[in-house]
Amino acid sequence: MGVREHQGRGDMHRIETTLPQLLQEKAQHYQGRTAMREKYKGIWQEISWMDYLVNVRHLALGLAELGMQRGEHGAILGENCPEWIYADLAFQSLGCVSVGIYPTNSAEQVHYILDHSQATFVVVMDQEQADKVLEVRETLTGLKRIIVVDMKGLRHYREEVLIGFSQVQEIGQKSQALHPGRFEQYVGATHPDDVAFIVYTSGTTGHPKGAMISHRGHLHGIVYGMQPILHFTDKDTILSYLPLCHILERAVSVSMPLMFGYTINFAESIDTVTQNIYEISPTFFAAVPRILEKMHSGLFIKMGDTTPLKRCMFDFWAPVGRKVVRYRMNRERVPLPLLMAYGLAYLFVLRAVRDKLGMGRTRCLMSGGAPIAPEVLDFYRSLGVFTLEMYAMTECGCIAGPHHRLKYGSVGEPCGALELKLAADGEICVRGDAVFCGFYRDEEASRAMVVDGWLHTGDVGQLDEDGHLYIVDRKKDIIITSGGKNISPSEIENKLKCSPYIKEAIVIGDGRKFLSALIQIDYENTGNWAQKNRIPYTTYKSLAENPQVFELIKEEVSRANEGFARVESVKKYIILDKELDQDDEELTATQKVKRRVIEKRFRTEIDAMYGSG
Amino acid sequence: MKTPTLPLLEIEALAMHFGGIQALREVSLSVLKGEIYSIIGPNGAGKTTLFNCISGIYRAQRGVIRFDGETLTGMPPHRIARLGIARAFQNIALFTGMSVLDNLMSARTCHMRYGLLRSAIFLGRCQKEEVRNRDAVEEIIEFLDLQSVRKQPVASLSYGLQKRVELGRALAMDPRILLVDEPVSGMNLEEREDMARYILDINEEKQTTVVLIEHDMGLVMDLSDRVSVLNFGTKIAEGTPQEVSHNPDVIEAYLGEVRA
Repeated sequence: MGVREHQGRGDMHRIETTLPQLLQEKAQHYQGRTAMREKYKGIWQEISWMDYLVNVRHLALGLAELGMQRGEHGAILGENCPEWIYADLAFQSLGCVSVGIYPTNSAEQVHYILDHSQATFVVVMDQEQADKVLEVRETLTGLKRIIVVDMKGLRHYREEVLIGFSQVQEIGQKSQALHPGRFEQYVGATHPDDVAFIVYTSGTTGHPKGAMISHRGHLHGIVYGMQPILHFTDKDTILSYLPLCHILERAVSVSMPLMFGYTINFAESIDTVTQNIYEISPTFFAAVPRILEKMHSGLFIKMGDTTPLKRCMFDFWAPVGRKVVRYRMNRERVPLPLLMAYGLAYLFVLRAVRDKLGMGRTRCLMSGGAPIAPEVLDFYRSLGVFTLEMYAMTECGCIAGPHHRLKYGSVGEPCGALELKLAADGEICVRGDAVFCGFYRDEEASRAMVVDGWLHTGDVGQLDEDGHLYIVDRKKDIIITSGGKNISPSEIENKLKCSPYIKEAIVIGDGRKFLSALIQIDYENTGNWAQKNRIPYTTYKSLAENPQVFELIKEEVSRANEGFARVESVKKYIILDKELDQDDEELTATQKVKRRVIEKRFRTEIDAMYGSG
Repeated sequence: MKTPTLPLLEIEALAMHFGGIQALREVSLSVLKGEIYSIIGPNGAGKTTLFNCISGIYRAQRGVIRFDGETLTGMPPHRIARLGIARAFQNIALFTGMSVLDNLMSARTCHMRYGLLRSAIFLGRCQKEEVRNRDAVEEIIEFLDLQSVRKQPVASLSYGLQKRVELGRALAMDPRILLVDEPVSGMNLEEREDMARYILDINEEKQTTVVLIEHDMGLVMDLSDRVSVLNFGTKIAEGTPQEVSHNPDVIEAYLGEVRA
């Protein structure tokens, strides 16, 4: 611990900088060392820190030649790839603001963000994304150029606004030859207080809002908030697969490598992520609950399909792993007999399972982005993977994380980057340098959120005697039943989602006599179950309406109810006859449910549940 | 739009009969370099027979087929393939027990120049050629987004994916002209759209001339530069998609039935 704290102090001066300046510094320092890997033509191709800098330099100079000026906004639309990061840093090098857009957004949503952010340049990955921008091109008067990374399928387009990514870099290369030192001037002129990027929050209510993040705020949050918990070194390796426009992935895949010098890997395509994780076996793994839940339930389904011997071995040894977790979380010495049993369990079963999940070398697995059931975390811990949950927000970065002891259900202690207090109603409020600069073109929303320097997170929490933070729920989501009892729906929902057959659950009961739930079944896993039990089905709808499936879910619901008090248990539920979808406005781009929209859409079904009871 | 000029594939008065059945009667057409040329017609119109004649599987009784000035009639299929004519079959023709990668590699045999002995030692030219061919195959895997199934046996893939591998196998031969037989039959909407995109991309990016047989009218009308219509072995119309769809003979023979 002593050494690590020392490193933390050593970083102190380094937050007086900007991300492009960090890139220059790292490229000088590491030169030919690998900064990124990208799988291309079936081989992991390495990109050195020097290549990284050269790519950013040429792109930035090219953009400047095309007329991009300090203070303008540039948007990026596409899947994760090195070009995404080059574009991000090229914009910032020119003192411009980078805006990331989810590649899953519809043309309409893309239009809103491009229009609202007043972007003058947009970098798109391929034809699919380019089409979304071209569709609304007419109304975007400020847009100067659309830069396309992969020109496949676009060669016959005659729009002058389109230009190839490599073409822009060629222009930049010529500019570099004519005016050496210009790029360094641009980067030198960037200031820590400049807005580095805008993150559009996915917005569970209304239009997305653009949170402006400065270099200083972001770096402060990383160095004093995240690093004391995550302890990155330049020997770490990660796989970048969550959307880069999200603050979490941006921190882990762009800013933290620039600060700590570790290597990022890019998956070959969206479909190969699991395969690529297995090949790379990252040392650090950032995940959102949905992915951890899916891997967890996927494993249990596969266990059901495997040979009896393997299944027996797993059933026999897995409890040993779970027993050890208790000691490990408290950082206590594991009793010798248990430790020996664990050694065998690890040798026979746990190591193999861990390897299959691609976590063979993982020193730390982090969950964030949304609340997760502690049971799921415990599962990964039982495999011997150090697993922690962190609490963070786009608007202020990391708020809390476990610094030493792990407590069941807690998100850890408040981090050092921010000052934290609980308001009278339990709302978590934070203050400090890592707090964002406000919402772009939305003074009112900024004022509502930051009052007297305190940022109101909208989450209700509790602190225990040791100062560990427990999140109750979103303030606006807390259910008050007609009996006057306050209930946190997300805790119950996460418990339900532990079942491999339940993909999404929305608990309802505000002002009602009892709790009920809307449940979306997991099509794949429930489909497998149906096939095994010879239940015929054709589509999601027919599966959801099957009475036997209803019985299956009944068991799962009563199992989830076990741990809760009577008022907190789900009395009735219905299975939704359609899958929730981002295109239908039911999910955000980060796959969070939009409670209000769903409650409104399924009003009649909900009323029927309460009406007949 | 592109302006194709030179004829690449010319067919003159081709006739083919099986016993008493006249499958092709005096069919003449010419496919220009760089275009997407579609052949449509009701079942049994002779479309696949025409493809079989071009690729040398059938030998036409009368008429001439010329490819870039060279006469194909009477040439064995492997030599025709080597000239740069590749074909994606309607009924998938892959080695189902082999991986996607191996299937595509096997399609490159027409570009491999080493013998049994060299490959046993696996040195020098053999190794270099393997690397070169693997590189070409990987490019196709990338092009058709097959990365996730690279090492999977073909038999385990969905029908839509198998069709895509079938197209990839034809593409792996680096063809100058690609004959595609009903690429979207039995596919769902999403798979159809993907396939349409791939065919357009092949034509555009690789500048490969494409001859397409298809029943899906929407697809044909969207993709094709020119269309010809066969009915009972006779060519009844030829022209742009608009011209053909307004031709009264065609409406009667084909489109009329579909719309009714």
